[in-house]
Amino acid sequence: MRETINEAVSVVMYYSAKKREALPCLIRWQNKDYAVGKLGYHHKVKVGDTLHHIFELVDKENSLYFRLNLDSSNLHWTLEAIHDGLPS
Amino acid sequence: MTDFPLNYNRPLIMHIDLNSCFAIIEQQANPLLRHKPVAIAAYDTPRGAVIASSYEAKALGIKLGVNVREARLLCRDVIVMMPDPDKYFDAHKRFKKVLLNYTDTVTPKSVDEFVIDFRGSLAIQRGKSLVDVGHEIKADVKAALGEYVTVNVGIGPNRFLAKLAAGLHKPDGLDIIDGNNLEEIYSQLTLVDLPGINVRYEARLNAGGIFTPLHFLHAPLPLLKKRVFKSINGYYWYLRLRGHEIDGVDFGRKSYGQQYALGDKTTDREKLSRLLMKLCEKTGRRLRAGNYIATGIYLWLSFENRTYWAKGKDTKADIYSTQDIYLHAQRLLNQALIPARVTNMGVTVYKLKPTTPEQLGLFDGTRLDTKSLARAADLVNDKYGEFTIVPATMANMQDVILKRVAFGSVRDL
Repeated sequence: MRETINEAVSVVMYYSAKKREALPCLIRWQNKDYAVGKLGYHHKVKVGDTLHHIFELVDKENSLYFRLNLDSSNLHWTLEAIHDGLPS
Repeated sequence: MTDFPLNYNRPLIMHIDLNSCFAIIEQQANPLLRHKPVAIAAYDTPRGAVIASSYEAKALGIKLGVNVREARLLCRDVIVMMPDPDKYFDAHKRFKKVLLNYTDTVTPKSVDEFVIDFRGSLAIQRGKSLVDVGHEIKADVKAALGEYVTVNVGIGPNRFLAKLAAGLHKPDGLDIIDGNNLEEIYSQLTLVDLPGINVRYEARLNAGGIFTPLHFLHAPLPLLKKRVFKSINGYYWYLRLRGHEIDGVDFGRKSYGQQYALGDKTTDREKLSRLLMKLCEKTGRRLRAGNYIATGIYLWLSFENRTYWAKGKDTKADIYSTQDIYLHAQRLLNQALIPARVTNMGVTVYKLKPTTPEQLGLFDGTRLDTKSLARAADLVNDKYGEFTIVPATMANMQDVILKRVAFGSVRDL
């Protein structure tokens, strides 16, 4: 079931110069760490002049989906939604 | 009269579409949804209409147009999601970028389908097979959009046969139809399998004694033109079925419109006015971004009792600002008879003309200058996001009338 969260969240991001890509690798939410597994999709959205990066990914256990929003104007992360892959 | 021959030229038109586009992009984005029945619905409430479903959901009968309640009756475990238009627009742009690596004659037909004309392609002229190009595109799309995304590729001598070929082996198909196998392919299909033939056209064809695509192919031109279609369309179908190109025309922008399915159906004119203002603002933003002025407006309402009301009007003055659109639309709304709760409403502006050269107005530069005000408001909304500045009527309406993906036109992308 999908749940809207919209909470500020701590994220560790890793940049690979070789692959020339930056990806979140650890999410700390509600005092729990989630190692990032597979990245499903990354796209960008403009809200006015501000560019937001949306990362959709699952944790390493493949049990929880996260939708993260990185506001490029202040580099703040927001956890927008989670999904456990089950019907509501 | 002798029959017009089939087109035996080398097939160089490719039709390519994303399989179950919105659903497969959601399954790509969220790996936990893969291989599960997923339905994308306009609203996730019981009466929300399903606008896309995954192959797993389609196999269970959850198809376009069923509502969420019916979808859940068909499969208790269906995962229902609201659409994410920004993500689909991003996928559309990535998809297009892949295709532009092959040739610049790429025509988007909708958010999830493209037509590519390889007639001028150097690689093809040097003898590269279009089938190989098709396989390369499939691999490139996976690299650009994700490993779960698949596309159908169809190759034909015209757009119609290319689209028909793309639909033969879904998902992930690649087929060619040309003058050599055309009749064999038609012999395996029904009339409604042909793109552009729905059940109403089928009934019309049946009335003319045409029951299969092969009958359709061999029908004489006068029968199609004078009895079945009773218009030039009969001639178009006559050529189209033989593989000759008559659909390679891209029409320019004729109108801008916006519509809304009311989640909260109502007969309250005040509520309708507020919704109308938001529709007008969205229409106006697109009209101005396209650098057009309109001189016609059309408003339509559909009601719970399945009746419909519509009225259009040509205007003497130019329509440009949101206030211009709203003023005329509200006048039309005031004339509307509302026999039951309104379920859908839409506004369209038409008779477009470019903003340049501009006819200067008597009130330019004064407080009655709505054009400058609209431009200034657009600049603020461009900088700080949509609906930062809105007319007072639209106060607190940010979440009403959500962003949607249009079926068909992708001119604004």
